[in-house]
Amino acid sequence: MALFPLTSNFEGDFVLQLVPVDTENTMDEVAAAAAVHSVGRRVRARPGCILRVRRQGADDFLPRTMKVVEAGFMPTETVEIIWEAAPH
Amino acid sequence: MALLNRMDWYDLARSTNWTPSYVSDGELFPAELSGDYGLPQGAWEKYDEPYKQTYPEYVKVQREKDAGAYSVKAALERSRIFENADPGWKSVMKAHYGAIARGEYAAASAEARMMRFSPAPGMRNMATLGCLDEIRHGQMQLYFPHEHVSKDRQMDWAFKAYDTNEWAMIAARHFFDDIMMTRDAISVSIMLTFSFETGFTNMQFLGLAADAAEAGDHTFANLISSIQTDESRHAQIGGPALKILIENGKKEEAQRRVDIAVWGAWKLFSVLTGPIMDYYTPLEHRKQSFKEFMEEWIVAQFERALTDMGLELPWYWEQFLADLGETHHGMHLGSYYWRPTVWWNPAAGVTPQERAWLEEKYPGWNDTWGQCWDVIIDNVVDGNMAKAYPETLPYVCNMCQLPILGTPGKKWNVKDYPLEYKGRLYHFGSEVDRWVFQQEPERYAGHLSIVDRFLAGMIQPMDLSGALQYMNIAPGECGDDAHNYAWAEVYRAMRAQRNAG
Ligand SMILES: [Fe+2]
Ligand SMILES: [Fe+2]
Repeated sequence: MALFPLTSNFEGDFVLQLVPVDTENTMDEVAAAAAVHSVGRRVRARPGCILRVRRQGADDFLPRTMKVVEAGFMPTETVEIIWEAAPH
Repeated sequence: MALLNRMDWYDLARSTNWTPSYVSDGELFPAELSGDYGLPQGAWEKYDEPYKQTYPEYVKVQREKDAGAYSVKAALERSRIFENADPGWKSVMKAHYGAIARGEYAAASAEARMMRFSPAPGMRNMATLGCLDEIRHGQMQLYFPHEHVSKDRQMDWAFKAYDTNEWAMIAARHFFDDIMMTRDAISVSIMLTFSFETGFTNMQFLGLAADAAEAGDHTFANLISSIQTDESRHAQIGGPALKILIENGKKEEAQRRVDIAVWGAWKLFSVLTGPIMDYYTPLEHRKQSFKEFMEEWIVAQFERALTDMGLELPWYWEQFLADLGETHHGMHLGSYYWRPTVWWNPAAGVTPQERAWLEEKYPGWNDTWGQCWDVIIDNVVDGNMAKAYPETLPYVCNMCQLPILGTPGKKWNVKDYPLEYKGRLYHFGSEVDRWVFQQEPERYAGHLSIVDRFLAGMIQPMDLSGALQYMNIAPGECGDDAHNYAWAEVYRAMRAQRNAG
């Protein structure tokens, strides 16, 4: 359990933002923490979509249950928060 | 006694140079202050300024200029132009004075460095006048806003801004420190006078003077056009120095300085001048869009100045041209959304008519920045104001110190340009900002951006109140919507009509 700063690059938003998370947070929780600062502020919610996390430039999303501590991020590393159609 | 004609003595007086006997040349002109380009003294003595003026001529002309600007101010003091001005126009003045006035005074010290330490005698002469110019600009741009301080606390930032850690001022200081306060005399002539003044101050002072005249603010229009007549003279200090460097095989060093300074100037203008031209200035008073001004002043004129000089266009020119239609929309959206952290009241500038103008000048605006504004407008109309203010910091660039941003909405292209250097992760807003850092990492590496300071615990408590305190923004000074959201009424009415229909 430790505070960990990440930089959020949220799909559809215009600016990178500082998002403090916890090392024990899952990627789903990271996405939710980032969404607080974009969705309903400058980005419309997308019903039927979930949010996924990937490293900047990566094609693949990180597993939804992966923890911050397991992802091996550097402090303040930029993650992209991307809309994905919800699994049925 | 008859006076000699100017040209009978000017060349001789200008090229009169010291032959030191008690100290070495290196002591008289230390490399850190005079530049270390390895050129013989004789090369610098060829410096030939295109604009020749003697001290008596200077004093006579400047006296007339001052008399003109001050008499317009005196004549209009009772006209209540300020009281009756659109709040968006007041914000233009506040942003301008805060970001510029004390920077002019700092520029006097940069001119003084050329005046004392330039190895080129002609440059020392021109910079003597340039130094006096900048003292004049500092004084006038503090004196003129002073009459408004008692009416509006934010006007106090004309003086106060440079002493604070307000984020835009950290950005302005970082840039001016880099190009004029911490460079040798020759670099100052290239970076401050040639790159910044030839290209960009024209734009701020002539472009804004045009908008001011349209808005009926003749005091401000006269003031800044009067200043610009000085700028267009002393901006010519750098050209002959560039010529000497290029002739003596130092083109690469010269080009690098131009490339660094032009990019930094562009970023600063994208946050300062872009929003005021395209959003704050009332629609009916806008002469041209920011992009049109930039294309006229920077692209057409400055491009020619560069190529005439024998320099190349900066390597990032394509990127720069593309950014002309994009960056400042993000800078506006950012300074509006984080409006409690600025010393002026940003005008949203997004009524349906204004959006139509933006769409015409910047095709695609509605599908990109407009999408973010749609959400903001909904929140304002719904009275959901908690969502119309931020709850975290934007991530800022470790070079320009401004938010790292891009195009949102349907053309989303926001990207970080990171760099790990000696174990620390730096973030940059563009390839060019990162390139500037890489030219001389140790020059920049120790600086902490406002986000770095926050993460280091230097801003306490770690919330908005702590941030405002850190930025010296006193109650009654922090920014909010210029028109107190009156512009949202039309959207409220549109929604009522839609719901009824
Ligand atoms: Fe000036
Ligand atoms: Fe100047």
